Amino acid sequence: MATAPSPAPLIELRGLTKEYEEGGRRRVVLKGADASIRRGELAVLLGRSGSGKSTLLNLLSGIDLADAGEVVIDGVSLSTLSERERTLFRRDRIGFVFQFFNLIPTLTVEENLLLPLELKGKLRPEQRREALALLEEVGLADRAGSFPDRLSGGEQQRVAVARALAHDPILVLADEPTGNLDLETGLQVLELLDRLTRQAGKTMVMVTHSQEVVGIADRVFRIEDCKLVERVEEQS
Amino acid sequence: MSILRRSSLRYLIRHPWQTGLAVVGVALGVAVVVSIDLANASARQAFTLSTEAVTGRTTHQIVGGPRGLPDAVFRRIVLEAGVERAAPVVEDYVTLPATPGEPARVLHLLGLDPFSEQPFRPYLGAPGQGGARESSGPSLDLGPLLTRPAAGVLASSTAQDMGLERGNSFHVRVEGKDRAVELVGTLAPEDENTRRAIADLLVMDVAAAQELLGRVGRLDRIDLIIPDGAEGGRLLDRVEAVLPPGAQILPAGSRERTTEEMTRAFRLNLTALSLLALVCGLFLIYNTITFSVVQRRTLIGTLRALGVTREEVFSLVLGEAAVVALLGTAAGLGAGVLLGQGLVRLVTQTINDLYFVVTVRDLAVPAWTLAKGAALGVGATLLAALAPAFEATQAPPRAVLTRSALEARLRRALPRATALGAGLLLLGTGLLAIPGNRLGLSFAGLFAVIVGFALLAPGATVLLMRSLRPAMGAAFGVLGRMAASGVVAALSRTAVAIAALVIAVSVTVGVGVMIDSFRRTVVRWLEMSLQADIYASVPSRAGGFSGGTIPPEVARRAAALPGVVRANLLRRIELPSPAGPVRMVALGTDLANLRSSFELAEGDPDEVWPAFQAGDAVVVSEPFSHRTGIEAGGEIRLRTGRGERAFRVAGIYYDYASDRGIVLMSRSTYLKYWGDPTLSGFSLDLAPGADPDRVIEGARNVAGGQALAIQSNRSLKRISLEIFDRTFLITSVLRMLAGLVAFVGVLSSLMALQLERARELGVLRANGLTPGQVWQLVTSQTGLLGLAAGLLSVPVGLALAAVMIYVINRRSFGWTIRMEVSPEVLLQALFLALAAALLAGLYPAYRMARTSPAVALREE
Repeated sequence: MATAPSPAPLIELRGLTKEYEEGGRRRVVLKGADASIRRGELAVLLGRSGSGKSTLLNLLSGIDLADAGEVVIDGVSLSTLSERERTLFRRDRIGFVFQFFNLIPTLTVEENLLLPLELKGKLRPEQRREALALLEEVGLADRAGSFPDRLSGGEQQRVAVARALAHDPILVLADEPTGNLDLETGLQVLELLDRLTRQAGKTMVMVTHSQEVVGIADRVFRIEDCKLVERVEEQS
Repeated sequence: MSILRRSSLRYLIRHPWQTGLAVVGVALGVAVVVSIDLANASARQAFTLSTEAVTGRTTHQIVGGPRGLPDAVFRRIVLEAGVERAAPVVEDYVTLPATPGEPARVLHLLGLDPFSEQPFRPYLGAPGQGGARESSGPSLDLGPLLTRPAAGVLASSTAQDMGLERGNSFHVRVEGKDRAVELVGTLAPEDENTRRAIADLLVMDVAAAQELLGRVGRLDRIDLIIPDGAEGGRLLDRVEAVLPPGAQILPAGSRERTTEEMTRAFRLNLTALSLLALVCGLFLIYNTITFSVVQRRTLIGTLRALGVTREEVFSLVLGEAAVVALLGTAAGLGAGVLLGQGLVRLVTQTINDLYFVVTVRDLAVPAWTLAKGAALGVGATLLAALAPAFEATQAPPRAVLTRSALEARLRRALPRATALGAGLLLLGTGLLAIPGNRLGLSFAGLFAVIVGFALLAPGATVLLMRSLRPAMGAAFGVLGRMAASGVVAALSRTAVAIAALVIAVSVTVGVGVMIDSFRRTVVRWLEMSLQADIYASVPSRAGGFSGGTIPPEVARRAAALPGVVRANLLRRIELPSPAGPVRMVALGTDLANLRSSFELAEGDPDEVWPAFQAGDAVVVSEPFSHRTGIEAGGEIRLRTGRGERAFRVAGIYYDYASDRGIVLMSRSTYLKYWGDPTLSGFSLDLAPGADPDRVIEGARNVAGGQALAIQSNRSLKRISLEIFDRTFLITSVLRMLAGLVAFVGVLSSLMALQLERARELGVLRANGLTPGQVWQLVTSQTGLLGLAAGLLSVPVGLALAAVMIYVINRRSFGWTIRMEVSPEVLLQALFLALAAALLAGLYPAYRMARTSPAVALREE
């Protein structure tokens, strides 16, 4: 099933702290978070609503910057990059899967898939072929010309998974990818994500409440009282 | 096309109402600006072409006093001064009477000497040479012009239009009398410009023209071609030496320059009004693009998360604006040309009524005007889209920003917007307060005031809604309170919609109050200045300053008619001067009449009028003083029949007849210095109980062969007001068009606003709101928006009216207008705003009421 993770860390979090201002008061979300995730690992992030899971994903993707500490991905410290550089970094190396799919409604399934590739540069024919193969793999090759509003939730999330992987990222960030799906469809999507990321040796960090994911994860983290804690006992 | 651009384009296509109305907004704005530009350009081009056709290669012109120059001057110029290239000219405007299916047409009659003409107007050719091709033969034979009485030549196209062939006769109306002219040839120049330039020219031999116009032995001017340099200077000195008193040499281009100057303020005012329509269009664009950005905040957030940079988002939004701009501008240019066809008639009519005779046959469509319109349309749209495009780049990745957060941010920005609005108001007021007549600065001030008011609108709306909420609750219950709160809750959309509506309606109020005040001022002025019972004048065009005269005996005989108490004598002349023609009126009346007919803006009537009657003092009209800078107590130099002389300006009087201004002189002073006893008209004061109709008939009888236009006091006032209304017709049309653009803007923004509430309304429907209550909620909210805009537009409109009356009009034309506000104009404004807003709510209300709540909820 899973290939052995490479020992070299892809993600390193060093003393990560993040605060927000709310109604004139500072609210700490993360305080001194340290972690290291190796290439090819599936890391799961648990925590109550509002505990800071999405904030951590934002920090990992460079969407947001920490107030203190450092996020290093693939040897690149995100805090040393400008906003534009972080965007380009994200475009090149990170794939996103959202809870609400967030496909572009004015693009067809195929165009949604090709968008990250085109953003990276001129689309080459072999890239297009690979992307369509990916679509085939998620079982939606026959829907390439459809617009997202013609697809079911499960189908939309499968397209979103394919889009997250189309440009061959080193890291996939998934924010409750099954949160908006029924149990059965959610399991199908999970299986797909697991298959396409871990089998391809990619690293994935997933925010979830799903116990099924916990069961297949390499690492399980939980945010409790603004602290990032690794739950060793939950690993199977 | 990149995938991102494709997505963008599909967004526009999927929102046809939004995109379509934005395109219409740009198109209307561009169309108004382009059409005014084209109408102005066409009138100018027609004037320039006809002036060039009449002036030809002339370098200098010798002009005389009110009665022109004696024939003998021409002989002295040639024989004594030794000028080889000199040509005598007699000119005037004659009318081709209307025929069934053909409106009356004005022809420019040019009386020329064929033997002197060759170097001057090449399109005429020379006797026996045929410089121009005749339509029916190889060359034009000017010979018959000399030998046949009342012989004339027309452009071949004109002859064709009139169904005339060589040898046919046609009638022209000269000072009220019909005179026959025989067509002895036609002109068919090869180049298009000359063809257009001579389309309204009637060329005759100078002697035949003198005969036709009743000016035997007199010339209107003598054209000269004087070489440059010292030799030319010496030649001009020799000419100067043989000129009679009252005659002067003017450079040939001065007439064109001064007429250009004359209409500058008129054209600038039209352009500014047309730009107002574009400003309304810009609010619409800003609103549409902002709306599209807010609507897609999640989408933009997703794109940013996927790695789309801020620059790419910015370019994406601007790209959409560019598509709207290109479509709107293309449609606007086409519509502008069509609209221009209609507006050119209104512009030409006003120019003819107020300034000079010009006939515009075709709408000129210079590429430059279209390019300017295109640049303005695209540039202004992109400018309006800059702020929302920048706003889009600020959308955080993954759409963290919620709608409520956006509204909260906007409300936090409200004090800043209000402060900026107040700052712009101050800046605008400051610019308007800068003394001088710089119109560009005044309009910049006016626009700053308008934008300042627009920025104050959101804050004022919040205050207004808070104060209306209890009343709405009392009247309509929870739905009423929801409607009032909804306006404030969705301020990111409603604010721009209200601002656009406020601006548009206030422009309507401002222009309406200005026209209304002006009209009332003119009515009062007419009441005061037209006190006689009967008015007689030479039938003429162009404000009665053209050449026709009445012998003084006619007035004397009319004064002796039973029932007539007194005749007031009037002579209107145009004195040529290097700074442009000076219009002068010589008035023969008594002191009491002067006191009661003229209101002085400067000067004490007890001192001014006696000095005026005593001689050597003149009174000038307010626009004259404004235009020339000559004030009461100063002096004006006029070229009299006895040479140049200075006259003291004793006072300044209110006058609304002409924005060029008038110099008023007593008849005795005029007779003393010009020795011209003829009249342009006279008025008769009747004894109480005298029958005006019988006196009018008596006056016609005593006139003998002299054609007279005789009118009663009432009909003259009516005609004067008709002309006033005609000259403001174009302003009213522009006011309407600006209103139309705003209406489209309001329609688009309110519809978008309500359609966006589909989910909210779906939830309400799911919770038991009936379709009728949906109607009530939607229409009461749009009604509130309209009410807010209507109420806010009243003070803004009054402020704009004050600026237009006291600053713009005064600086443009020098008129003092008393601002008067009629309640109807204000009620109209309120009604317009309410109607626009309620209409805009109809479709969304209809759609929402018909849509199943399930569908509305799913659509989100």
